[in-house]
Amino acid sequence: MDCKKKIHRTFPFLLLFVLTVFPGNAWAVQSHGAPEGLYVHQLAHIFYAAALSYLFWDIKRNEFRAGGWRYLRIFCVLMVVWNVVAFVGHSLAGYVHSSELITGSEYLKTHFEGTLTTANFLCYFTKLDHLVSVPAFICLFISMRTIYRNSLEEEEV
Amino acid sequence: MINLPMMPTIVMDMVGSLIIIVLSFLSLRYAYLLTRRQPDNFLWGFLFYFCLTLAAFSVSRAVGHLLKQILLIYGNNEQWNSLRPMSGSFNTLLMISLAAVTIYYHKGIEGYRAIQKKARSIKEANLQLEVSAEKLRQLNLNLEGMVEERTMELSKSEKKFRNFFTNSKDMVYFCDTSNRMVKMNPAGLEMLGYSMEEDPELNMLDVFRNEEDLDHYFETIVTVGFVEDLEIEFVRADGTVLYVLLSATAVYDDNREFIACEGIAKDLTRLRTMMEQLSSGEKMASVGQMAAGVAHEINTPLGVILGYAQLMMDDFSPESEEGQSLAVIERQTKACRKIVADLLKFSRQSESARENLLINEVLEDVMAVTEHSLNMDHIYVVRDFAEGLPGIVGDTEKLRQVFVNFVNNAHHAMEEQDKGKLFLSTYYEEESHRVVATIRDTGHGIPEDVRSKIFDPFFTTKSVGKGTGLGLSVSYGIIQEHEGIIEVESPVNIDGETVKGTAIHVKLPASLREPVSVIE
Repeated sequence: MDCKKKIHRTFPFLLLFVLTVFPGNAWAVQSHGAPEGLYVHQLAHIFYAAALSYLFWDIKRNEFRAGGWRYLRIFCVLMVVWNVVAFVGHSLAGYVHSSELITGSEYLKTHFEGTLTTANFLCYFTKLDHLVSVPAFICLFISMRTIYRNSLEEEEV
Repeated sequence: MINLPMMPTIVMDMVGSLIIIVLSFLSLRYAYLLTRRQPDNFLWGFLFYFCLTLAAFSVSRAVGHLLKQILLIYGNNEQWNSLRPMSGSFNTLLMISLAAVTIYYHKGIEGYRAIQKKARSIKEANLQLEVSAEKLRQLNLNLEGMVEERTMELSKSEKKFRNFFTNSKDMVYFCDTSNRMVKMNPAGLEMLGYSMEEDPELNMLDVFRNEEDLDHYFETIVTVGFVEDLEIEFVRADGTVLYVLLSATAVYDDNREFIACEGIAKDLTRLRTMMEQLSSGEKMASVGQMAAGVAHEINTPLGVILGYAQLMMDDFSPESEEGQSLAVIERQTKACRKIVADLLKFSRQSESARENLLINEVLEDVMAVTEHSLNMDHIYVVRDFAEGLPGIVGDTEKLRQVFVNFVNNAHHAMEEQDKGKLFLSTYYEEESHRVVATIRDTGHGIPEDVRSKIFDPFFTTKSVGKGTGLGLSVSYGIIQEHEGIIEVESPVNIDGETVKGTAIHVKLPASLREPVSVIE
């Protein structure tokens, strides 16, 4: 057992020694391609959704049952949904052919002309993400206002 | 093939972005107000930073979207393409920040939960404290009522016992371990001849007549814990004796230590006197019966002896020896007959006359005979006869004999002093409807051990030959025959003052008729 421990302890130093003595090619600075930005953004959506899910669960766990907290939980749910919508939207952006979007002379008259595939439909739908995010922010507003008013009432009591 | 206009998505993007900016700032405002109100509240702090990051994210995203739509509407596609990565990066950064703030909440909430728990327990403790305080307040309120109620009950009870103590006709007393009578009711003080105003400091030693009785009383109290129906004698303030029936109980403290005693004493003097009188009456009646029997039996042989002696005296000259002996026999036989006659009088066997008479006249008749001899011995008579006394029915001769006996006894009692006063008084006792004649001397008085025997036949304190001991017995018999009573007082109590001497009170029933004629 003692022998094993000694090996474990000395191994990292041994590795460092070998790398120092035989350096070879060391790529100190890594270059980043264009897709990395999209990946980071998508990961940020996942991270954001996960954080909101945690918040939702924690509010429930702590039994914050007052009206304001209930609206905050609804906000969390809607924002998780929004993250999913946004994630899907970002992911499907590459599947829509630019030839199917006819812009013409005016941007506002842009329309989609092509085969109605699931990807196309979802892509179009995800452009309407404010249908989810606006109600979410309304819930957030109601939540904050209710919590504030409740705190005022509690203080008066 | 489908044809979908993108206009709705563009309009919704722009309007939605604007709404989100407004809502996020309104939310931030409330979160800010919360932190202002309660800066120490962690939750409000979290909500503020959460809203702040959301507002930043909303601004970044909404401004980006608005800029995009505006630039594209105006055909500045190139400009948008250059701004696009920056907008996306900001959005990414702020989303990560938002997530970080939310995750940070995890650590903070734990601390907050601990504080909340503590606060809750303090709140609960405060609540309990309030409940306890309320209970205490209620208890305090009730306590006042309870105390008032108990005080009233106690006062009522105290009043009840106070009334019992004050109004009892028997003596009620409390004494301590040193036999000091610390408290006595008015009846007790009156019984002992003290007044409430005096508030005398009495001790059992002063009150108990016999020390042995006190020792027995105290020993029983200490060992047994109580005494019951103890017949003892108390001494009154004026020195007279009081017969009482005493019951007492020991009082102990919490450690069962004897600390005091409380007792009740009932005056039995009157009852005892009555019992003694009854007993004496019965004794006298039996002695009288016996005396009458003996007298009858002796009277006949005495008559025979006297008759024969007188017959024989005719046969001998008085100067002869026989004549002289017979004269002695005759004299002594006559003396015996007198004694027998006295015995018959005592036993009320002799005949009596019944006439209406006045007691004052009887006493004057007696004084007419005896006053001279009294004066010879410097004894002076003081008369205090009440006027207009009702008459009595009786035998004048026998009553004279009674008063002569009493005056003679008084004379003998004062003889040794060579001077004295004889007080004669009469009055009418309305409550008993009796005429009372009192003969009081200033002589040596009657010793206590003798007092109960003075009316016994043949009892005398005189030397042999000087008295037969029948005088007072005969007087007693005569007064009994007249349905009267004799009371003897020695020493004499006059207006609360004890005076040396003897007073004989002869109480005879008053007649309803005027004293005019002889009945029998």
